[in-house]
Amino acid sequence: MYLNYIIKRLFGAVFVLFSILTLVFFLIHIVPGDPIEVMLGETARAVDREALRHSLGLDLPVIQQWAEYLRGFTHFDLGMSLHSKQHVSQLLLQRIPATFTLSFASLFVAVLIAVPLGILSAVHKDSIWDRLSMMSAMLGVSIPNFVMGPLLILIFSLWLEWLPVSGNEGMNSLILPALTLGSALAAVLSRMIRSSMLEVLQEDYIRSARARGLTEFKILVFHALRNAALPVVTILGMQLGTLLAGAVITETIFSWPGIGQLMIESIQKRDYPIVQGCVILISFSYVLINLITDFICVSLDPRIKVD
Amino acid sequence: MRTGIFFLKTNYLLIASILFFQFFINSCTELDRDTIAIGLNTAPITLDPRYATDAISYRITRLLYKSLVDFDEQFHAIPELAVWKKISPTHYRFTLVDALREFHDGSLLTSADVKATYESVLNPDEASPHKGSIAMIESIHAVDPNTIDFKLSYPDSLFPGRLVIGILPEELIYKKHNFSREPIGSGSMKILNFKNDMHLKLKRLHDNKVIEFITLKDPIVRVLKLLKGEIDLIQGNLPPEVIAWLDQKESIHIEKKRGNTFTYLGFNMEDPITGNILIRNAIAHAIDRESIIKYVMGSSARLAGSLLPPEHWAGHPNLTGFDYNPEKARMLLNQAGYHDSSPLRLIYKISNDPFRLRLATIIQDQLASVGIEVEIRSYDWGTFYGDIKEGRFQMYSLSWVGLKVPDIFHYIFHSKAIPPHGANRGRFVDSNVDLILELAESEVSLDKQAVYYKELQEYLLKALPYIPLWYEDNILISKFNVKNYTLSADGNFDSLEYVIKN
Repeated sequence: MYLNYIIKRLFGAVFVLFSILTLVFFLIHIVPGDPIEVMLGETARAVDREALRHSLGLDLPVIQQWAEYLRGFTHFDLGMSLHSKQHVSQLLLQRIPATFTLSFASLFVAVLIAVPLGILSAVHKDSIWDRLSMMSAMLGVSIPNFVMGPLLILIFSLWLEWLPVSGNEGMNSLILPALTLGSALAAVLSRMIRSSMLEVLQEDYIRSARARGLTEFKILVFHALRNAALPVVTILGMQLGTLLAGAVITETIFSWPGIGQLMIESIQKRDYPIVQGCVILISFSYVLINLITDFICVSLDPRIKVD
Repeated sequence: MRTGIFFLKTNYLLIASILFFQFFINSCTELDRDTIAIGLNTAPITLDPRYATDAISYRITRLLYKSLVDFDEQFHAIPELAVWKKISPTHYRFTLVDALREFHDGSLLTSADVKATYESVLNPDEASPHKGSIAMIESIHAVDPNTIDFKLSYPDSLFPGRLVIGILPEELIYKKHNFSREPIGSGSMKILNFKNDMHLKLKRLHDNKVIEFITLKDPIVRVLKLLKGEIDLIQGNLPPEVIAWLDQKESIHIEKKRGNTFTYLGFNMEDPITGNILIRNAIAHAIDRESIIKYVMGSSARLAGSLLPPEHWAGHPNLTGFDYNPEKARMLLNQAGYHDSSPLRLIYKISNDPFRLRLATIIQDQLASVGIEVEIRSYDWGTFYGDIKEGRFQMYSLSWVGLKVPDIFHYIFHSKAIPPHGANRGRFVDSNVDLILELAESEVSLDKQAVYYKELQEYLLKALPYIPLWYEDNILISKFNVKNYTLSADGNFDSLEYVIKN
């Protein structure tokens, strides 16, 4: 049954990928701006321009270029960068580790902040603790990343001199970008945990657990939190998807060599194959994460059926 | 009580997470104090000199490769790897002189490498953007390992100044070596590694010092990194107010040198409004450049009256452009038939660079005070550049960076240089300009060429296809312990060869 379900979902994913790929392909070709101009500048003669256009296959009708691209794609060939002449798959592979590390670290930070805050405010509903924790969560989401990033750099790198300002060298340089992203995600997450916990804490099985004399910690973590986790896991999945799509602003501030920066740069240079490669990677990771989220939900709550 | 217990547990969680971060913090990496690091605003696109067109790629490839010819302070061509002799107007002989002309892989740089390099630039399959600038080369002949002949299809007295492309090893050219990522040249530095486009490490050959280029897009982060000592110097590309703020810091040294980056307002001559010389004159008189330079640019620019700066051998010594005279601007507008009741409306296109946008809003305000209503439209580079080339604009502003050879005038103002044949983006057609350009180009002596170009520059200021604004300075911002870095007029990084850190 699981297998059937996975196959069904994968077929759905292929359709989604195909649609996104086609849409992006045509959109980026409609946008004004010409990669040849960006590459050759104005010193090039018309003949040279046409020669380059021909050698890159950009003189073909867009439909034909699209067919060529799809053909390459089915052979796992994402093409070459128009500018740096590197394989797109190679460029993506260079960036994936950094994006993955930052995404999971940010999510970890978000969970680390959100779970205690969410539980705290649910348990002490309407108390000063509730207000304080919800307020600090709001603060996290209200401060934009381009303010939070430099602020954290000022505090932790310049004044306290604990951490490097930016870069991608070792664990230390991961902390500040992960905090910047994580604090923003934590806001939504902690509110979700709070409302979900409030609902669950009303349930009969919590009362019976208390009657059985379980410790409050066990009740909260093993009985309440697990049942409250369903909507939270869904949100987490969506947040991870967004993170994997590249957090452009945070990546720029911290000179983090991730997918987001690669894609923005390629859009500016009209480097079509890289943009397409990034889009495919991003949509694929969304689809995959959704699938994984569904399975986690099933394992959390046996009442949910896969089909 | 129960909640009390719970509270204790959450406290444990919090303490655990604090300890977790403390663990990371304690394992703080030591900064590598031995390298010299430069913060860049964009990464070099390529390290292959045959394809380098952006400023950063050009500046870094100069460190990795040597070329036959270089330029002096007055932009005269001077020997680098080779001296030359004009055997006839269409025949130049270059003799390699530099005794230490060894490639980084140990092989000797010979005339065969020069020939292979220039032939590959000329090869249409290679699609080098520099092909157009050396298109007059008819044939290249290596006479002996030290001598090479260039035959031209037509006379060009500026020819030596065009041989500025770094020389690559012949063997690797034929092997289609990826010079863009793994450069091998004969320059003062060799590559160590280039990972992620954002971090380039070079080794300085004379003392094995490591020179690092780190791409930091955000200007504030670049500054914070400099203050923290994670980079040692930044050259330009910082907002003026940030530079002013840094100037008060004791640990920071700031130095300025006049540069030749030329910023201008361009007009569409085919447009009924901007094609009118009265209106262009009015705009020129309505812009208070001195105030902009003083208050907005932190005095890091000087007034420009022409494309080439006065110190250029073909530059004009005393052109500074138009006086700020709002009354005269209003008068000219009235003459053109525009009044407060029927104001002039213009569309002004610019790129989306934040600083350029700010300058544009100031110009917009200054023009508004003489009664010109300007609508600013800012686009991403690809769209903006496309519009400018296609002539879809009334008024725009841009800069020319690194101009050296005076044939740029032909390229920008000759009636036959309308894109895609050149950069006459404003569709400026003037038979006088064409005539002076052709006279200058047919002149063999550079001194006589200079006379024509001076005449041309005076004329252009009357015909006004461009309103010259200013030449921007090059600015060095470094830690105080950085010594021996000299700024150059075109902003190159050549003095990284000598820079030291105390």
